[in-house]
Amino acid sequence: MTISRRAFLYTAMVVPVTAAAQTPAPPDAYLYIIWPNDGQRIKGAFWVRFGLRNMGVTRAGDNTPNVGHHHLLVDVNTPLDPNEPIPSDKNHLHFGGGQTEARLELAPGEHTLQLVLGDAEHKPFKPPVVSKKVRITVTK
Amino acid sequence: MGSDNIGSHERGTPRRLAVILSADIKDYSHLMGIDEEGTLARMKRYRREVIDPTIAEHEGRVIKNTGDGLLAVFDSPLEAVRCAIVIQQSLVGRNAALPKQQWLQYRIGVNLGDVIIDPDDIYGDGVNIAARVQALAPPGTVYISGGVYEQVKNKLVCGYQSLGDKRVKNITDPVRIYRVLPDPDAVASAKRRNRIRAGIAAAVFLMAGAGGWYAMRPNVPTQAEEPPAVRAASQPRSDQHAAAQITPPETSRSPARSAPSQAEPVPQPSAPMPPRVTAEPQPVPQTPQPVTAAPQPSPQAPPAIAAAPQPSQTPSQLAATPQSIPQTPTPAAETPGPLPQVAVISPPRLPPVSGPYEAFVDCERCPAMISLPAGTFAMGSNDDPTEKPIHQVNVPPLAIGRIPVTIGEWKHCVAAKACAYEPSGSNDLPVHNVSWNDAQQYVRWLSDVTGKKYRLPTEAEWEYAARAGSSTRYWWGNQVLPGMANCKDCGDGSDPRAPMKVASFSPNPFGLYDMTGAVAQWVSDCWHKDYQGAPKDGSSWEAPNCRERVLRGGSWMNDASTSRPANRNRYDPGVRYPAHGLRVVRSRSD
Repeated sequence: MTISRRAFLYTAMVVPVTAAAQTPAPPDAYLYIIWPNDGQRIKGAFWVRFGLRNMGVTRAGDNTPNVGHHHLLVDVNTPLDPNEPIPSDKNHLHFGGGQTEARLELAPGEHTLQLVLGDAEHKPFKPPVVSKKVRITVTK
Repeated sequence: MGSDNIGSHERGTPRRLAVILSADIKDYSHLMGIDEEGTLARMKRYRREVIDPTIAEHEGRVIKNTGDGLLAVFDSPLEAVRCAIVIQQSLVGRNAALPKQQWLQYRIGVNLGDVIIDPDDIYGDGVNIAARVQALAPPGTVYISGGVYEQVKNKLVCGYQSLGDKRVKNITDPVRIYRVLPDPDAVASAKRRNRIRAGIAAAVFLMAGAGGWYAMRPNVPTQAEEPPAVRAASQPRSDQHAAAQITPPETSRSPARSAPSQAEPVPQPSAPMPPRVTAEPQPVPQTPQPVTAAPQPSPQAPPAIAAAPQPSQTPSQLAATPQSIPQTPTPAAETPGPLPQVAVISPPRLPPVSGPYEAFVDCERCPAMISLPAGTFAMGSNDDPTEKPIHQVNVPPLAIGRIPVTIGEWKHCVAAKACAYEPSGSNDLPVHNVSWNDAQQYVRWLSDVTGKKYRLPTEAEWEYAARAGSSTRYWWGNQVLPGMANCKDCGDGSDPRAPMKVASFSPNPFGLYDMTGAVAQWVSDCWHKDYQGAPKDGSSWEAPNCRERVLRGGSWMNDASTSRPANRNRYDPGVRYPAHGLRVVRSRSD
């Protein structure tokens, strides 16, 4: 299950010819959104809780093996470049301090949330450690 | 084409869409009253030597002569506007040689409209509007109608000031009018365009002599490429070049332009684009003054802009400096280019100061600064919830870095063991991958070195500087244009994986480079999700236990929408990210 999802995400990513060394991740690393659940309807601002198994959460810049930090992708549909730092903008939220939760305030309507674990340099791991994308509906 | 387009009128008087240029001389009868023969002779000479050839060169045709003016038609709006600019630019040079009472100053209006062209005359609303637009133009300027503006705005890189809709005599609908700004900034951008087509460069070299108004085509490179050579000589003062560049042709404007920074340091630019807009092209014969005035504050300047040869700081030594925080190693994105062998820290070669404001440096290792007057502006936008509400902010006078802090500049701080982050890469790249905390180390060091209070800009100061008088989506207008900012999809073929060297793109009207795109710049404020309750005095908006600080300007990794001056982003102050850099400010009173 996990594997196939990861494989899917991996193929969705751009794989450039000159692949810079990506930081390896353990094959059983599992990243997931604890809350909200897929399909959840939420009123107003809410907390997103990040879950990670078989790897550790640390601050950005930490090169220790098998640790990384969270990035929350809100309404992102474009694939990430595995060799580039995860972008930083309104849709790519960084948690380089080692945070494991975030308070979000989204406009009413449907949204997607997805976590991506980044290495010391904010780049995706190899294989990518990415959560399932959850769909939520924010109501007024 | 015109003859296909026959409407209700008889054959032989084809209607067609044409660009009409209307020009006349200000105070012609008055001038004739003073000196009839002299005025007439001069006018004929100007027509013969400047105006008619320029019109022909731009593929226009004089269709009608009036006593003191003319009507010309063009097929291309772009050519017509270029022609108008060249005429004005050339006449400034001609007039400069004469006493003021002998000046012949043309007012020029350009309109795009449907007209009927006879062999020897031209009729239609389009003509009348051109004449009305021209009548509104102050002498020495070019006004264009909205229709022309729409055609040229993305093609002819110069400033356009909207004057709004004006009612004109005998025309039912109001006409939208724009003033073409004699924009020295265009020199820089034109330079870039010209790099591409350097081949056609030589042609208008002659005009370069006269032309500073803002050179449009081939004459630009000659001007723009001079400075480095000159700089290498004796007085590497950049604004001196600017003066040299602008003044000779542009007699009239230079005094006005340098005035704000020199005489009256606080010209309250509450109206956008203040100096350039208000600078009336009243050529005052005291031309030389700005030229000499500009270089004056420069005795200490050269080193700053030239180089700080610190031969002791070889790369290896720099690298060897201890005190490295075990933080983010430099990302592979910025593969450390080969470090220069000798003078490690040569400041970037900046183009001449292009804006209306004075530039200075406080020390030879210090960033080049621009002095901005106090101003009031509308901060924010309705494009994103974080940018609302739009609110008026009064910003006190300040000095701000012309460019983001470069790697070369940052290395001085590293060498002084005051900055923990050790950047790699070419010295003329903006320093990046710095955290807000790193940035604080740099401004602290800079303050220690200079005895002045350097700091990060406040969010309001930053936006004031980035807007540079504009209230459009981007400082150059509402559309993304190539050649304006180093952002991801901005159409310059720039590398989305690495920043470009500083000042690779056009400066904004304040003469500031890379305000948007390039590196996102840390500002001092704590992040607030919108502007509810934001200070209105330009101060930094703080909060207890601040968890996130604000970044402005987008970056080379972000798309064009982040290059809007109103765009905001946030980040943990302790975390480095490859696209984050900084620009420094200090208040003018320090």
